[in-house]
Amino acid sequence: MHLLLSPMQQTDKLISPSVNWGSLTPLLVLLGAGLVLLVGAALSARGWAKGLYATLTAAAAVAAGVLQFVLWNSTVHHGPKSLVGEALVVDGPSLFIGISICAALLLAALVTDDYLRREDIDSPEVYGLYLMAALGGLVMAASNDLIVLFLGLEVLSIALYVLAASHRKRIESQEAGLKYFILGGFSSAFFLYGVALVYGATGTTRLRGPESIKTALALTVETDKHRALLVVGVALLLVGLAFKVAAVPFHSWTPDVYQGAPTPVTGFMASAAKAAAFGALLRSVVLSMPELRDDWRPAIWVLAILTLVIGSTLAVVQTNVKRMLAYSSISHAGFILVGIEAAAHGGESGDRGIASVLFYVLTYAVLVSGTFAVSTLVGRSGDGAHGLDSYRGLGRQRPVLALALAVFLLAQAGVPLTSGFVAKFSVITAAADASSYAIAIIAMLAAVIGAFLYLRIIVSMFLEDGDAEGERVSIPFGTGAAIGISVAFTLVVGFFPGWLLELARDAATRLY
Amino acid sequence: MLLNQFLLLGAILFAIGVYGVVARRNAVLVLMSIELILNSVNINLLAFALRNGGDPTGHTFALYVIAVAAAEVGVGLALVLLVYRNRRSIALDELSEMKG
Amino acid sequence: MLTDQNWVLSVGVFLPLAGVLVMMFIPKSDELLVKFVGLLAALATLGIGIYTLAEFDYGQAEKLQFAVNTSWIDVIHSRYIVGLDGLSLPLYILSMVITVLVMIYSWNHVPSPGNPKAFYMLMLVLQVGMAGTFVAQDLVLFFVFFEIVLLPMYFMIGVWGGENRQYASLKFFLYTMFGSAFMLVAFLALFFKTGGTTFSMTQLADLVQQKYAEGGLTSTTMNLIFAGMALGFAVKVPMFPFHTWLPDAHTQAPTQGSVILAAILLKLGTYGFVRIALPILPQAAKVFAPWIGLLSVIGIIYGAWCCLAQTDMKRLIAFSSVAHMGFVMLGISTLTSYGINAAMFGMVAHGLITGMLFFVAGSVKDRYHTLEIKRLSGMLKQVPKLGWIMGFAAMASLGLPGLAGFWGEFPAILSAFEPAKGNVDLAIGPLSVNLYRTFMIIASIGTVFAAGYLLWLYQRTAFGTPTAEFAGLGADADDQDDHAHGAHDAHEGAEDTGHADGHHEKLHDVGIFEWIAWAPMLAAIVFFGVYPQAMFKVFDPAVSLISKKFGG
Repeated sequence: MHLLLSPMQQTDKLISPSVNWGSLTPLLVLLGAGLVLLVGAALSARGWAKGLYATLTAAAAVAAGVLQFVLWNSTVHHGPKSLVGEALVVDGPSLFIGISICAALLLAALVTDDYLRREDIDSPEVYGLYLMAALGGLVMAASNDLIVLFLGLEVLSIALYVLAASHRKRIESQEAGLKYFILGGFSSAFFLYGVALVYGATGTTRLRGPESIKTALALTVETDKHRALLVVGVALLLVGLAFKVAAVPFHSWTPDVYQGAPTPVTGFMASAAKAAAFGALLRSVVLSMPELRDDWRPAIWVLAILTLVIGSTLAVVQTNVKRMLAYSSISHAGFILVGIEAAAHGGESGDRGIASVLFYVLTYAVLVSGTFAVSTLVGRSGDGAHGLDSYRGLGRQRPVLALALAVFLLAQAGVPLTSGFVAKFSVITAAADASSYAIAIIAMLAAVIGAFLYLRIIVSMFLEDGDAEGERVSIPFGTGAAIGISVAFTLVVGFFPGWLLELARDAATRLY
Repeated sequence: MLLNQFLLLGAILFAIGVYGVVARRNAVLVLMSIELILNSVNINLLAFALRNGGDPTGHTFALYVIAVAAAEVGVGLALVLLVYRNRRSIALDELSEMKG
Repeated sequence: MLTDQNWVLSVGVFLPLAGVLVMMFIPKSDELLVKFVGLLAALATLGIGIYTLAEFDYGQAEKLQFAVNTSWIDVIHSRYIVGLDGLSLPLYILSMVITVLVMIYSWNHVPSPGNPKAFYMLMLVLQVGMAGTFVAQDLVLFFVFFEIVLLPMYFMIGVWGGENRQYASLKFFLYTMFGSAFMLVAFLALFFKTGGTTFSMTQLADLVQQKYAEGGLTSTTMNLIFAGMALGFAVKVPMFPFHTWLPDAHTQAPTQGSVILAAILLKLGTYGFVRIALPILPQAAKVFAPWIGLLSVIGIIYGAWCCLAQTDMKRLIAFSSVAHMGFVMLGISTLTSYGINAAMFGMVAHGLITGMLFFVAGSVKDRYHTLEIKRLSGMLKQVPKLGWIMGFAAMASLGLPGLAGFWGEFPAILSAFEPAKGNVDLAIGPLSVNLYRTFMIIASIGTVFAAGYLLWLYQRTAFGTPTAEFAGLGADADDQDDHAHGAHDAHEGAEDTGHADGHHEKLHDVGIFEWIAWAPMLAAIVFFGVYPQAMFKVFDPAVSLISKKFGG
């Protein structure tokens, strides 16, 4: 009986933590904008002027991004710090991934505006959900406590379930939403069970810092007792996160959901959700449980190789471009896992691995947003024209659009002078530095197989005879801007990657 | 010490839940199975919290899980309803618009 | 005196990009302007190349000249290092010349489905990649250029190629990427095993020896790194077991693509061996040399046999490339100054001669709409000039003394008589003399085969009387008009290769653009055949620097 009472006896000892509001501003901006959108739109009888929702969302994304830059500068001067009683951190990786998510949010907002008009859907909720999802992603990337990580994960996931189903006129969209929900909920449950076991073994849910999982693991005497518990817990954590990043063999939801969800949402899922999930993987396992790395690194190794090989081979046999891109996003996840594997080695090569993961996440977020932006346009009204046939002759009909897509696809294939090449290069470099040559070679070979897929799309755009089916593809301003930004970023980073690599390196070393 | 029994109960619930998700084709039943897993987590968390001398972390976490689970069920049922309205069926294996 | 004009190489490499930029803003329909700008860009680039030739200090051909060493991607220690020595100069210039000539040839030979704008732009991009590969002195920079080459060639084959173009282009792409995968990992392994400080080729060569002496780099590691690099280069060469992409790519590629592929792209592989693999990892090179030699002679014999079995002229020439590159690799594998010099010469000679053969094959295809050897006959009667040029190129290819081909082939065989003696300082033992003499004998048999298939090809296509199908269409034409009609019907189904005049019936002889494009190559084949010293003396200092490591 006294056991049940004890938490109550402790209540007088609970002190509310000091909150550093300034460092929370990026989160608050997203939260505030989301609430304003949802509440404001619900209260105003006639709805807002067209475009205002998207403008507000984009403005919030930019503001949150800029605020994170400001925080970045403060970490340069004052070092990384923790907030709200060690629940959140402001450090290099969290800000870097946060900025990636904000970039993805901005691009998604630009594309979605045009998309919703074309599909004649009037829904401020979509933007509200985008903002909430981004908020959840930011929290995941910045969390220093498994509870907070879980909350971020759920905020992100629940928003995405609804987003995936948000095209009410397309039955595929609803199916995608339900499928995503079932498998997402399942994986969250796994993750949660893992959290519970890790908590049981270490007695805490805090990840780093004093009295955290990391310090608990360092005291091997304590943890050896619960080693089995711990290992099973970490395994379940990995399963849950592997679902979220779409690593093989936990990828089965990806093709269906990517294909069914409204195309701009797919782009957002592939960029922001993936970035957040990798941020969480980095925080919860790689950075917090280095003592246990001999147990989980082989798992990452296997995941990476399976993801690379299966992702790129299955991509080749698809005929629906959104499905192809889904599998290609799986194989990109494999590449990032190669970086994670390198990061797992710790020390200097570990830093290189973290930096390569961060770099890859950011460049891929922009790339994939751009790719799906083009795919949104090619989908035409009804969002259904995603077969390879729909791309046939695009080079003649819309040469600039086709060229932009070609740039994205070549970058995804890892062709030099694009950001994708530098990203792949840095991941492979990290793997070589960590002496994981086998994985480096397999990654390169997977890139070769993957290249085939991207070339297939390019070939049908430029080389195959016949005109694109259906109506002429129109390019509205917002989407055009998003594509333009993405192309510019892809090429600039491709030609002059130095500054961004350096930022990623800085971020990796500036760790709480 | 009751801890092991609690953990065992949690593990059994977890296993039943996983079985339910994998084997059931009715979306609502799958949803309930996920709930079962979440509740097994709660039992685990409380048991561990007790073991750790009534550590508030575990209790807090369990409260959060209950809240999140409620939110999840809300969204999940809404999605099921949406699909049901269109298809007049909530069997998961009949969701076959997409193939590849 | 070494010149300090460090802008020369960067301009020479990237000038074609300026042409590409300008061409982007020219409407596709203005074909003449497009071609003009493209050719102008290539000519300007060649102008820079000629300036480079003039300013190059031949007295110090072993040193890197026009060198630039400036920061590029500091984070990964990769720097923008370019430089030109005697090893790269001839190939660098060759790439520029070939691009110009191919563009001239394309003036009225843009293959189906047309679109000269894209075609010329691709050639310019290709030129950037090729020239860049030859001047890059940093492994990452080298890799970037090496990869850039891939895409334009992929599109060239994939868009403008023959019926099986999709398959061939893909095979080409995947094979090369496959090799590159291993190459890149080998580069990175080298980088980290030497302390992770530099990708500079010259510094790495020193670092490797230093680490090896200190024991920080085992010979097993070095062998593995060498194997990775060798795989990447061997696919590109292509050496025997990795050659299967070549016949398909050549057969399906448009004439221009085949010429560039044969003349320059294949050389990237052999150049890589000489520039990177040998000097940086001499110990491992010695270990692998006999195997490379073995694969080379297999390639020589196998290539020749395959040639004898071909029914398609272009495919035959493609297989002859496998054999010829075998001679080049045999020269390299001896690790002697003599052998590597011969190999370098062989690269340029093969580029000129095989390039020429592909040009001829393209023109034959243009006129006869077929390359099937048994359907062609009596070219000397119908299109005498083309026939003679083909005979000339075939003679050069089989290594007739007095023409450039001889100096690539004969010394390469001879060099195998006396392979590298080894270098005690670097702990490199001698290569087995008996083994190499066996190679020498096999390779000499290969030359007999080469004479066999080339003369056979020439005899069947050029001599004799024209086949009934084409009779009366060429210079021998007088009264057989009804035949002409039948022949026309025969290639109704075949692809229209874009003849301006539309008169497929008449076989006209070598045209003006063909003459302009071919004359420099023909002249060069004769010039370097008569006066090989002109090129040897450029190579030799740089080659000696490499072969010294092996005691040559």
